[in-house]
Amino acid sequence: MSLAAEAFVSQIAAAEPWPEKATLYQPLKEDQILLSDSASSLAVQTFLRMCGLPVQVSCCANAEYMSPSGKVPFIHVGNQVVSELGPIVQYIKAKGHSLSDGLDDVQRAEMKAYMELVNNMLLTAELYIQWCDDYTATEISRPRYSSPYSWPLNHILAYQKQWEVRRKMNAIGWSGKSLEQVYEDVSQCCQALSQRLGTQPYFFNKQPTELDALVFGHLFTILTTQLTNDELAEKVKSYTNLLSFCHHSKTSK
Amino acid sequence: MGTVHARSLDPLPMQGPELGVQADDMDLGEPEQEEKQEVLENKDVVVQHVHIDGLGRTKEDILTYEVADVFRARNLIDVMKKSHEARQKLLRLGIFRHVEVVIDTAEGVDALPNGLDVTFEVKELRRMTGSYNTMVGNNEGSMVLGLKLPNVFGRAEKLTFQFSYGTKETSYGLSFFKPQPGHFERNFSINLYKVTGQFPWSSLRETDRGVSTEFSFPIWRTNHTLKWEGVWRELGCLARTASFFVREESGHSLKSSLSHTMVIDTRNSTILPRKGALLKINQELAGYTGGDVSFLKEDFEIQLNKTLFWDSVLSTSLWGGMLLPLGDKPSSIADRFYLGGPTSVRGFSMYSIGPQSEGDYLGGEAYWAGGLHLYTPLPFRPGRGGFGELFRTHFFLNAGNLCNLNYGEGPRAHLSKLAECIRWSYGAGIVLRLGNIARLELNYCIPMGVQSGDRICDGVQFGAGIRFL
Repeated sequence: MSLAAEAFVSQIAAAEPWPEKATLYQPLKEDQILLSDSASSLAVQTFLRMCGLPVQVSCCANAEYMSPSGKVPFIHVGNQVVSELGPIVQYIKAKGHSLSDGLDDVQRAEMKAYMELVNNMLLTAELYIQWCDDYTATEISRPRYSSPYSWPLNHILAYQKQWEVRRKMNAIGWSGKSLEQVYEDVSQCCQALSQRLGTQPYFFNKQPTELDALVFGHLFTILTTQLTNDELAEKVKSYTNLLSFCHHSKTSK
Repeated sequence: MGTVHARSLDPLPMQGPELGVQADDMDLGEPEQEEKQEVLENKDVVVQHVHIDGLGRTKEDILTYEVADVFRARNLIDVMKKSHEARQKLLRLGIFRHVEVVIDTAEGVDALPNGLDVTFEVKELRRMTGSYNTMVGNNEGSMVLGLKLPNVFGRAEKLTFQFSYGTKETSYGLSFFKPQPGHFERNFSINLYKVTGQFPWSSLRETDRGVSTEFSFPIWRTNHTLKWEGVWRELGCLARTASFFVREESGHSLKSSLSHTMVIDTRNSTILPRKGALLKINQELAGYTGGDVSFLKEDFEIQLNKTLFWDSVLSTSLWGGMLLPLGDKPSSIADRFYLGGPTSVRGFSMYSIGPQSEGDYLGGEAYWAGGLHLYTPLPFRPGRGGFGELFRTHFFLNAGNLCNLNYGEGPRAHLSKLAECIRWSYGAGIVLRLGNIARLELNYCIPMGVQSGDRICDGVQFGAGIRFL
């Protein structure tokens, strides 16, 4: 959409209050959803919970294709459909709810930088492990991704997704990395987050922000998802303050 | 009709479409003509040999069936008639450019005095023909390449390939057709295709990749077709403003279905017939041979035509259909029926009748539509006998209804639902016939019975297509 149209739409959005029947769509929880999508979905759910906005979670096999940008999760609010955490945060801000209002400009820039770090490192590592590691792809990712479909469509769609992710890894230069290097990158990312968190309950002041929602979404999902081996979870567990951050965020509110 | 040559060394003059007689024979024959005529018609002949000249890659065994009847002729008129029929049969195989018939007296050691030899001189079609077009449409340009290989292996098999490469979409189709030797109406074909379609009335985009095989065979006066089809369907939203109902249908699905069609067609022409009737019944069962979608679909088409006084034709038609989803999943938007438009109930916008959400039409699970037409030649008959014959004026009355059915209620509730809130329209216009395949219409329509949510096109409406209500 053009800039003028987007500005117009967000003005319209701001005018309406948050409806009772807002819904969040994600792939099927039991059989289909993968680690990366589950992490993104949990991040959005946590963010909405922190803002105090009620939302129903609806699981659909075709959630990825329903989304306007092709990525899950997405929310259906009134007449609007918004996907991914970044645009959702903007949309919520237009409605008048924001978690990062109390931050000054320096802190806001820092928050954005850390969110980019999580997206570029942690999320990409998750995608790499799921689709570029042959063992995980064969045992977990392809069977789960294609479970709602019948033969031969299930194989076609699973391989199509795998090629797409591998092409993306090629484009950003990750295809040359080995699994060990990827685990190292995850470790470094966790170290940066751990250093920023220190002993505070949240990353900034005493109030949670969207960065907290994002980090919680990813770390909690990594800790609680069963992969082919436990190395990813071990990397996170080695930072105790991150562990207690997850525990604390899970039980609060 | 073609040309039939009859030559003879016998000095008797022969009667026929073209005579090749020698001058002195004419004089001889004249006074005895009356007598000779009778002899000719009762004269017994035996067809001893039938030759087919000009074959290249065509195998002879399929041709023997087509010309077998010629041997049964008993007199000359019969020979000419049966040769003509055999020529038509050879042409309908679709492997010859033209066929000529030559009838001659028998020659050779075993020639009988009343024996005849019939020779079919044929010219085969080229092994491969190609075509290349460019098309420009709605914001899209494309390049279309076509290849046709008639008579690939020598028994009237046909292979066609079409490929379209456009700025937005690519599509292709590959088709192989094989008739049974001796029974051309029994045939089977295999198709492989990818087609994309954009449906702005539903804000829907559909891409189908599929394979299908079909068998056709006649039983008595009816024509039956059995088909298995496997399609990978991909649905998507055409615009960001698509309604959520349409958005929910986006994604991939696999349809594997068996279908059966029965057709009885006694009309004299497919476009603007003057007499005859058409009955077509089609059923499709999906889901029991694999795939994600499961339904039973029935639809029928009836058309009756009768010529009235002064060259005018009265035509009535009735269409109907029903979709019954099997299992617990609801029906998909790609399987439902649509109603309205210049080719169905005139006076309404294209497929813009029935259930809709935010301006996107979702189609319905049951429908019926009927039409009553009176076709007359153009007033004052301009261009009579030539160009003017392609045009007709017509006065029409169309009606129809489309709805979703709640299968918890009984059939009585369904019928009453289809009977209430009927949309109908009437008007007049001009019809132009394009070959034997398509027609163009320009009508002035007055829609009535419009329900809230329908989109109408009252006033002048233009339509082009191959199948009209």
